[in-house]
Amino acid sequence: MKDNGLLSFLKDSLFSEECALRGGLLQSLDPRIKVLGFALILVSALLARSIGFIFCLYLLSLCLALFSGIKLGFFLKRTWVFIPLFSLIIGLPALFSNFTPGEELLRINLGSFSPAISVSGVLTFSLFVLRVAATVSFAVLLSMTMRHFQLLKVLRIFGIPQVFVMVLGICYRYLYLLVEIVENTYLAVRSRVGAGLHYRAGQQVAGWNIAFLWMRSYRLSENVYMAMLSRGYRGQVHVLEDFKTGLKDWLWLIFTAALIICTLRFFH
Amino acid sequence: MVNIYGSIDNMHTPLFSLKDVWFSYLGKIPALSGVDIDIYPGQKVSLVGANGSGKSTLLHLLDGLIFADRGSVSFLAKRLEAKAFADEKFDREFRRRVGFVFQNPDVQLFCPTVKEDIVFGPLHLGFEKNEISRRLEKIIGILDIGSLLDRSAHQLSVGEKRKVAIASTLIIEPDILIFDEPTAGLDPQTSRKIIDLLVDRSLESRTVITSTHDLHIVEEISDVVCVLGQKGRIIRSGQPGSILSDADLLAENNLAHIHSHRHKDKVHVHEHAHSEHHSQE
Ligand SMILES: Nc1ncnc2c1ncn2[C@@H]1O[C@H](COP(=O)(O)OP(=O)(O)OP(=O)(O)O)[C@@H](O)[C@H]1O
Ligand SMILES: [Mg+2]
Repeated sequence: MKDNGLLSFLKDSLFSEECALRGGLLQSLDPRIKVLGFALILVSALLARSIGFIFCLYLLSLCLALFSGIKLGFFLKRTWVFIPLFSLIIGLPALFSNFTPGEELLRINLGSFSPAISVSGVLTFSLFVLRVAATVSFAVLLSMTMRHFQLLKVLRIFGIPQVFVMVLGICYRYLYLLVEIVENTYLAVRSRVGAGLHYRAGQQVAGWNIAFLWMRSYRLSENVYMAMLSRGYRGQVHVLEDFKTGLKDWLWLIFTAALIICTLRFFH
Repeated sequence: MVNIYGSIDNMHTPLFSLKDVWFSYLGKIPALSGVDIDIYPGQKVSLVGANGSGKSTLLHLLDGLIFADRGSVSFLAKRLEAKAFADEKFDREFRRRVGFVFQNPDVQLFCPTVKEDIVFGPLHLGFEKNEISRRLEKIIGILDIGSLLDRSAHQLSVGEKRKVAIASTLIIEPDILIFDEPTAGLDPQTSRKIIDLLVDRSLESRTVITSTHDLHIVEEISDVVCVLGQKGRIIRSGQPGSILSDADLLAENNLAHIHSHRHKDKVHVHEHAHSEHHSQE
């Protein structure tokens, strides 16, 4: 059954914290300051108008990936899956003089319709693609070097109500459990009827599975709530704050702050 | 016996008193029928019974997580009902004194990391920060789970999850411990450790209420055994010795296991409840 492939992809991409657990530069930063720094870098990338500067930012993301124990090939694969998705579709029209008027560079002859590529169009387009590349790289880098619970903690600090954050955390936690239940049910069914299950029967199993999952998750949530009550929960969430900041964190913050000041002064 | 409960409760006032308790799920699945039990301070009580005989239900009721349809459950003469738990002071006092380890560790571990799961109880019961760290150190030492602290619950094996769930309750240091299936899913050494914790001499005054299928541990961890039968009816309660030696009672309630032995070429099958009886063959 194909569904299993999809499930394991989901499991890998959502729940694998392999990179985040490695010891590297970004992994060792305090999550709060790391997120703040990334926010500053992203703002820089969005505000900067200089192709050279944005290109440097992009190179910076590659360096940071290297210093954080992420293989360059893997990182490029991860990011360039998204970059064309965002940039080509939205950015492509900017190449043409209809959208970006300017000196004509090349005319594509398609009979009655012959669009022209302008010099300023090429510049606008490359700026756009680079900007997307830089922002996507930094976003992917952040998500790869941060464990999800740290992200939750940071959300809490940036003013998201604790209850929301807790619910988010619980959803994440039990999504895994449910994925596992579905996976195991498929395995169990397959072990009983063999891999050559007819697709109609497969659909029936899937339908039954969803109903079953509903019941399971309902009962689970009821029991989880009881377990919370049993340990003193009364609707108010308390969490342990155990962040620690060091010299490295402040240097990171100063570096990213300098970056945005530069952007505003020279490249905006 | 030292009275650590203040003036009201001594050996003569029951901690928990259940009178003719009935409970059914969704109004139609009967789980307890007319249960009467008194549990006294310092007692070690085991509930034994087949699957679905209502053990977990009874334990949930004792922890004030569900409430009886009929009859009454009281804790130190105070009725356990929704109204009582609405009172924050009572709720907190009760939760500090009564700890519950669930049968399924997955429901008990809902935080992003093991560490947060363990400190969830103390944090919500208003313990001091230093006190929490002290207790955390202590409990991870006892259960040997220091290496798991930063992991997520979904990355743990069943046995590890159990240990963490146990830690998350024991860290509260309750003087009444309710434990649903203490040894299920644990390897022999960890099982042993948990049993040792349950019978620890220094914690003799602690009340321990367990449910189990494992008759091998009943004698060690309890001084009163209640046998639950169909639909959560208490068939019999008494001292472990007298209950464990009653083969008919155990067989009727799916508790005795049938052993087959191989002596040279002959195989013979017989029922018995207790490992000791093996050697007497
Ligand atoms: N949440 C629920 N909804 C509906 N029925 C339930 C629920 N929980 C338990 N039951 C039913 O109530 C009865 C008693 O269940 P309980 O879990 O108390 O048994 P148990 O003695 O703990 O069994 P086990 O040894 O398998 O843990 C069973 O028939 C069970 O199917
Ligand atoms: Mg049970």
